[in-house]
Amino acid sequence: MNLEADSTTSFLGQRPLAAISRASRDGTSVKDGLVGFGSRPSLRTKLLMAFLVIEVLLVSVGVIGFLSLREADKQTNQVLALQQKIEAYRQVQHDTLRQLHGVSTALAFPNETTLASALRQINQFGYGLDRVSFVEKDELALLDQLREEYARFIAVVSDVVDLIRKGRAADAKQSELAELGPLADKLERLTNQLVNRAEADMVAGIDASRQTYAKSQILVAAVALASLILTLVLGHAISRSVIDPVHIIHQGLNRIAGGDFTQRIDVPNRDELGALAAHVNSTCEELQQLYQSLEEASRHKSQFLANMSHELRTPLNAILGFSELLLDGIYGDLPKKMQSAVERIQRNGRHLLGLINDVLDLSKIEAGQLRLSLADYSVEELVSGVYTSVESLAAEKNLSLRIAVPPGLPPARGDERRLAQALFNLVGNAIKFTDAGEVWIEVETKGDSYIFSVRDTGPGVDEADQTKIFQEFQQVDNSITKTKGGAGLGLAIVKRIVEMHAGRIWIESRIGHGATFSFLVPARLEQQAMQT
Amino acid sequence: MSKRVLVVEDQEDNRQILRDLLASAGYEMIEVNDGEGAVIAARTQSPDLILMDIQLPILDGYEATRRIKAQSELRHIPIIVVTSYALSGDEEKARAAGCDAYVAKPYSARKLLETINRYLT
Repeated sequence: MNLEADSTTSFLGQRPLAAISRASRDGTSVKDGLVGFGSRPSLRTKLLMAFLVIEVLLVSVGVIGFLSLREADKQTNQVLALQQKIEAYRQVQHDTLRQLHGVSTALAFPNETTLASALRQINQFGYGLDRVSFVEKDELALLDQLREEYARFIAVVSDVVDLIRKGRAADAKQSELAELGPLADKLERLTNQLVNRAEADMVAGIDASRQTYAKSQILVAAVALASLILTLVLGHAISRSVIDPVHIIHQGLNRIAGGDFTQRIDVPNRDELGALAAHVNSTCEELQQLYQSLEEASRHKSQFLANMSHELRTPLNAILGFSELLLDGIYGDLPKKMQSAVERIQRNGRHLLGLINDVLDLSKIEAGQLRLSLADYSVEELVSGVYTSVESLAAEKNLSLRIAVPPGLPPARGDERRLAQALFNLVGNAIKFTDAGEVWIEVETKGDSYIFSVRDTGPGVDEADQTKIFQEFQQVDNSITKTKGGAGLGLAIVKRIVEMHAGRIWIESRIGHGATFSFLVPARLEQQAMQT
Repeated sequence: MSKRVLVVEDQEDNRQILRDLLASAGYEMIEVNDGEGAVIAARTQSPDLILMDIQLPILDGYEATRRIKAQSELRHIPIIVVTSYALSGDEEKARAAGCDAYVAKPYSARKLLETINRYLT
């Protein structure tokens, strides 16, 4: 009985142990780095496998619980059977005593009633023994002996009853004393032996059942705990094998977006994410090649522009140089008509130079080659420098040119030459497009910034055109601009210069009411703004 | 005795302008048309000032300036760099080579003369 219980327990015990060791094997291989488990199968397979493992764990917890319950039930049944057996043995003892009592009564008062009672008891006798089932092998001999003694006891009782009926009371008494007494004693001894054994078995059975219960409890808890740990490890591994590559790919894409095409994404996965990473890498390679060829083209363009600028300026230098020397009277005084012609040569030469400079500036800015040289400057000096260089232009057109700069501004920081160029372009435009009235150059502070404004009494700019005029080669298309000429590069350059200073430019204007161009730049720029 | 200006310029028309300009101001002009000639002339002719173009055959203006300024007995000669390069960084490069002033072409003859006068008077 104990043997059987033990074997059941060990049968139960082996499965979960195997399950746990299997689980821990899986766990370590997963932990070992997504290689054995994480690299080969596709993402779908990985997820399916993970869910499958979790399901297997759930099922095994269920099966273990069920088997434990069945085992407990079986042990309960065994204990119940033992109880029945003990009862049966006790019944035999009881029956024996009653038989002896019946015989003694019949001997003391030998009449039909007592005799019938004794015989009836013989017929009922032994039912209990037949009911005894669930017998151990080593008990069988004892039980057989019991049955044998019992048969003899019954035979003697029958003999005694017969003797009483025949009136041989003395013989009956003799037989009772000589045979029935010792037989009853023997039966009692045997049944006692059996009861004791059964009771010991029962105690052992209850003990075993208690142990099985404790074992099952530990087992179920252990399997549940192991499942929990395994699930966590599995979840962690899966998420690592998914999230890590996604993270790496994300970083790689950020690098590419930032213009770094040199690095490749290293994702060990051989699943969809690995394929994605490989795809990103090949795209990056294509982008790198494209970027390199673009860079080269841009370099060629810049080189071409630099060369062209040099080639154009060299003859221009001679044209402007000689006309200046002529006008300065180095070669003697010029006749008036000739002087006017040379002035026209000089004016047109300067205009051409301005155009060449604009084209060069814009292409340098667009190629990202223009670096600001940041230094401290005085706003007042910047404005007065621009004023000096446009003074004569305004005077030629009889325009009044005014400046308004708050006194005592602290030193600003930026690229003075470029900011002066921006302001010069705006003032130059204002003078160019204004035929009568005034042009104001104003500076005001706003927080940590300066706002430079150029206001004129010119024709104004249509609202629809206000957004277009800052784009290169865009001019407001009307009769006024047609008569004034220009390549439409000035405002585009101003806008780029302002943006490189992390500032912004805007226009306020109404047709017929003049225009105000303003740009805001930080008072102290410490680092050139990234170009967009 | 008139001051001597060494003009390093490979374009004949530009040399003619400077010839006329410097003559009108009473300066004597020594001409060379490449950087190597400039380094030799600086030592043999001992000019009072050098007008140096940048784009020159054989040796460019930066290198010629560097070589002249590397010689202690020539270091005192002021060098004004004249260049058509208007790319940003050229001025810094010229200053790094050791020039004393920088004039971008096309220059105003009057302003160039003012700069020269500043060093020679």
